[in-house]
Amino acid sequence: MTDLQWDILQKVVGGGAVNPLPIGFIIDSPWLPNWYGVKILDYFSNDAVWLDANLKAVRDFPDVMFLPGFWSEFGMCTEPSAFGARGVFPADEFPFAHKIISSADDIDSLRVPNPATDGLLPFMLNRLRLARPRIEDAGHKIRFAVARGPLNIASYLMGSTEFLTAMMMQPEKAQTLLKTITSFLKDWLGLQRETFPSIDGIFMLDDIIGFLGEEEFRTFGLPCFKELFTTDVSIRFLHNDAPCRVSAPFLPEMNVNLFNMGFDISLAELKDLTRNQVALLGNIPPRDVLAGTDTAKIAGAAAELVKSLPDTSGIIFSCGGGMPPGVSSENMRVFIDAVRN
Amino acid sequence: MNELVEKIGHCVERGKINKASPFPGNMKGQDGADELTRQALEAGMDAEAILQSCIAGMVRIGEKFGRNEVFVPEMLMAAKAMKAVTEHLKPFFQSGSVQAKGTLIIGTVAGDLHDIGKNLVSMFIEGNGWNVVDLGVDVKPEKFTDAIRKNPRCVVGLSALLTTTIASMSKTVREIKALFPEIKIIVGGAPLTMEIATGMGASGYARDPQGAVTWLTDIKETA
Ligand code: B12
Repeated sequence: MTDLQWDILQKVVGGGAVNPLPIGFIIDSPWLPNWYGVKILDYFSNDAVWLDANLKAVRDFPDVMFLPGFWSEFGMCTEPSAFGARGVFPADEFPFAHKIISSADDIDSLRVPNPATDGLLPFMLNRLRLARPRIEDAGHKIRFAVARGPLNIASYLMGSTEFLTAMMMQPEKAQTLLKTITSFLKDWLGLQRETFPSIDGIFMLDDIIGFLGEEEFRTFGLPCFKELFTTDVSIRFLHNDAPCRVSAPFLPEMNVNLFNMGFDISLAELKDLTRNQVALLGNIPPRDVLAGTDTAKIAGAAAELVKSLPDTSGIIFSCGGGMPPGVSSENMRVFIDAVRN
Repeated sequence: MNELVEKIGHCVERGKINKASPFPGNMKGQDGADELTRQALEAGMDAEAILQSCIAGMVRIGEKFGRNEVFVPEMLMAAKAMKAVTEHLKPFFQSGSVQAKGTLIIGTVAGDLHDIGKNLVSMFIEGNGWNVVDLGVDVKPEKFTDAIRKNPRCVVGLSALLTTTIASMSKTVREIKALFPEIKIIVGGAPLTMEIATGMGASGYARDPQGAVTWLTDIKETA
């Protein structure tokens, strides 16, 4: 993000209204390689391709905030790789990681990985370090330390069903697992901040919190997020595009000040649930509208979204979730025009 | 209904698996589905009545889930409690005195790791009295065809959550149909529609677990 975009983001998160209406998208490997015209594996394995794709996005859409911006990642294998999970990387499909914990009893032997050396993390960091001069030449800076959230990582390591069941059957083991992961995440986010002093934001992605009831969320979700988001950065950004009615009221207590939700909840309802204390990034349907072939539907959904908000302060116009595969430049332009006009 | 049999259904609804399980908190230390089923069978109670009570318990928890009164973890626990009961009922299934409605082989197709929706579907169908073989995520077509070979009278359920893995789902349908033209396949997952499902040659499509149960009941009745 440029300095100007960062200023705008801070203003929006501070609850201010900005003109023209701010537009932002979370972009990463589900969208960028295909949009740039390269195979997913080339995007992951060739740092120049990764950088050029990201530079093209910021140059083609200078009036859009791309979050976190120049996200160095390896899809769903990123954090699990540090724990030793086997990543599967098909040439042009989305990678994923195999589990490493087959029963809750394995949890005690899990070690906290070293983010400086373990799995794919050194590759991620080094790619960003090498790219930094060109990113800065283009007028941008590395602004966010990024990681998947603790429940999300736990469900990769164990499997979602097994982790959710462990929470109910062996709550102490589930807590131990979350403690190990949270401790790793603190180190990992800390290392990113140390490496890039321009970082002034934390971005975490965790859809698994969306599947918990309030009691489980209070016990297993809230404490880790509170710990991870209690730092001195100015933007504390959370993504959860699974259901969020249970966790949304806790966002202020989690110290989150910017939230990207799923498309199945209105911004008005979320403003209410968060007592207007959290800026929101959303929320037209990503797959079924933004990535669709009907541009009139995109324009309609965007216009409807603007109209639905008597007060547009604290809102960044986007889709509900990350940018999905297949969104063309034309579709993005239709969205931008519809929001701005 | 007999009090003990009714209690078993209640354990399923609440996800009380056995005495040792700490969940739910307010049933801690009490006998669960496991112990109560053993006691009921020892007392000579009807296995079919026990199964029906469990199915009713699953229906009740399913309705609560639909109303957002309980969440995925509670559903998982109910399914586990149901499993504890069906373990005891196995000999009755084998002898034919209790009949499963059929066997469903289910999995998320190759390249896709989303399984929360698929697991809910599989729990509801199991809770409705079907025998379910869950092959997990990233399931290659050969794994489905191998499983069909072992369960020749089964129905197959495929799940996909990515637009990109719809192609993988089509391929799976084609490979299954090539070897087992008679096998019925139901597909589901958020990016699918009836039109896409029909286009790939699937026998059925449902948006949600209830729809899948209705479809299964229909094909069983017309079979
Ligand atoms: C949770 C989630 C995840 C979790 C999955 C955890 C898990 N173990 O399942 C995690 C974080 C791991 C994940 C990963 C990814 N995800 Co995801 N994820 C979601 C999310 C938020 C919710 C999906 C979900 O579980 N819904 C809840 C369940 C209950 O609903 P459901 O799955 O639709 O299932 C219901 C019905 O569809 C039906 N059903 C389902 N299966 C079947 C089967 C049969 C036979 C029948 C009859 C019915 C049926 O019944 C179910 C119950 O009602 C969606 C967005 C959304 N809000 O939908 C994105 C989403 C599906 N993900 C998306 C993406 C892009 C990814 C990744 C590629 C991202 C990445 N950076 O790599 C990876 C996938 C990698 C891979 N190779 O698979 C995109 C897909 C876009 C597209 N065009 O395809 C979505 C739509 C988000 C978006 N931005 O648009 N994801």
